[in-house]
Amino acid sequence: MAFSGNMYNSLYYHFSPTYRYSVGIESVEDKFFNQQYSYFRFTYLLNRRNTENSQGNLYFQSGLSSDGLDGHFYGLHGDWETRRWFIGFNYRDVKNSLKNYTDQFLQVGVAPYLGAYGDFHTWIMIKTKKNTLLGDWSTFPVLKFFKGNFLIEFGYNDQTEWDAQVMYRF
Amino acid sequence: MKILLAFVFLLPALGNAQDTHDHHSHEGHLHEQMVDGEKLEVDVERFDKFVKGLKDKQIAVVSVKGMVCDFCAQGIEKTFKKDKTVAKIDVDLNKGKVFIAYQMNTKIDFEKIKKMIVSNGQNATKLQVLKL
Repeated sequence: MAFSGNMYNSLYYHFSPTYRYSVGIESVEDKFFNQQYSYFRFTYLLNRRNTENSQGNLYFQSGLSSDGLDGHFYGLHGDWETRRWFIGFNYRDVKNSLKNYTDQFLQVGVAPYLGAYGDFHTWIMIKTKKNTLLGDWSTFPVLKFFKGNFLIEFGYNDQTEWDAQVMYRF
Repeated sequence: MKILLAFVFLLPALGNAQDTHDHHSHEGHLHEQMVDGEKLEVDVERFDKFVKGLKDKQIAVVSVKGMVCDFCAQGIEKTFKKDKTVAKIDVDLNKGKVFIAYQMNTKIDFEKIKKMIVSNGQNATKLQVLKL
C-alpha cells in the first residue's frame, strides 16, 4: 500500500497470517519533520460484526519506529459498510523525538451504483481530517475505485493538497 | 471539476457495461430448482452464467454474512482456488452467495467450507447443494 498526503508519504507492506491480525513494515518519508524512518507495524482486529448486508470492524493499530522506542504510535481504526454506504474513522497518537501529536480522520461514502463481483467499483466520499501539528480540520471530497485486487483512492483540498492511496492485494 | 463530475456520472454505465452484453438464458432454469424444499436465492444471471458448460458437477451455494465488498471477497475466491477438489468458483455479491463447483465424487463438507470462509473473515450460514 502506498500513501501520499500533506504530512508524509509512505510505502506499507503487510502480511496477515490470519484475518485477526497483520504485521508489516511501513517506510515513511515525513514531510513535516523532514525525516525518513520505518515503522514495524502490528494491527489487531478487536471486533468484527458480519450481517447479511453489512460488515463492521474495529482495529487496534500500532507501530514502532526504526529510530528507537521514542518513536511509536498506537490508535484505533474502525469502519462499517454495506454495499451502498461506508463510514470509517482513524485515530493515531504519535510519539516522536521532536514533538508528539495526534492524527485522525472521519470518512463517509456512497456507492453511486452497485457493481457485481469483478466489476469496476466506485465510491464517492467525504473525508475530514485533523493533525494537531497543523490545527484545524480539513474537509474534502474523495473518490475511490477498485477492480479485482487493485484499489486507488484520492482526494484534493486546496489547504492540504493531495491525499492519495494505492493498494494491491497479493 | 466539471470533467470530474461528468466522469463520476458516467461511471455507472462503465461499471455495468459488461452486463449489457449478457442476456439471461432461460435454458434449463436451474436456479428455479428446489433444493431441500427451498428455492435458490441467487442472482439468476450470475448463477446461469456460472453453471453454463458445467457437466457432472455438484454446485454448492453457500450463504455468507459480511460479504459486502468485492475487494474483500477476492480472498474467498483465492482460498477456494487452492482446493484441488474445486472445479470453479464465483461470488454473487448481490445475494451474498458463493458458488462452488465440485467434482461429482467429492464429499461436500460444510464444516470445512465454514472454516475456509471464516479464515477470510466472513461467516458461512447455509449450504445448498445442486447436482448437474
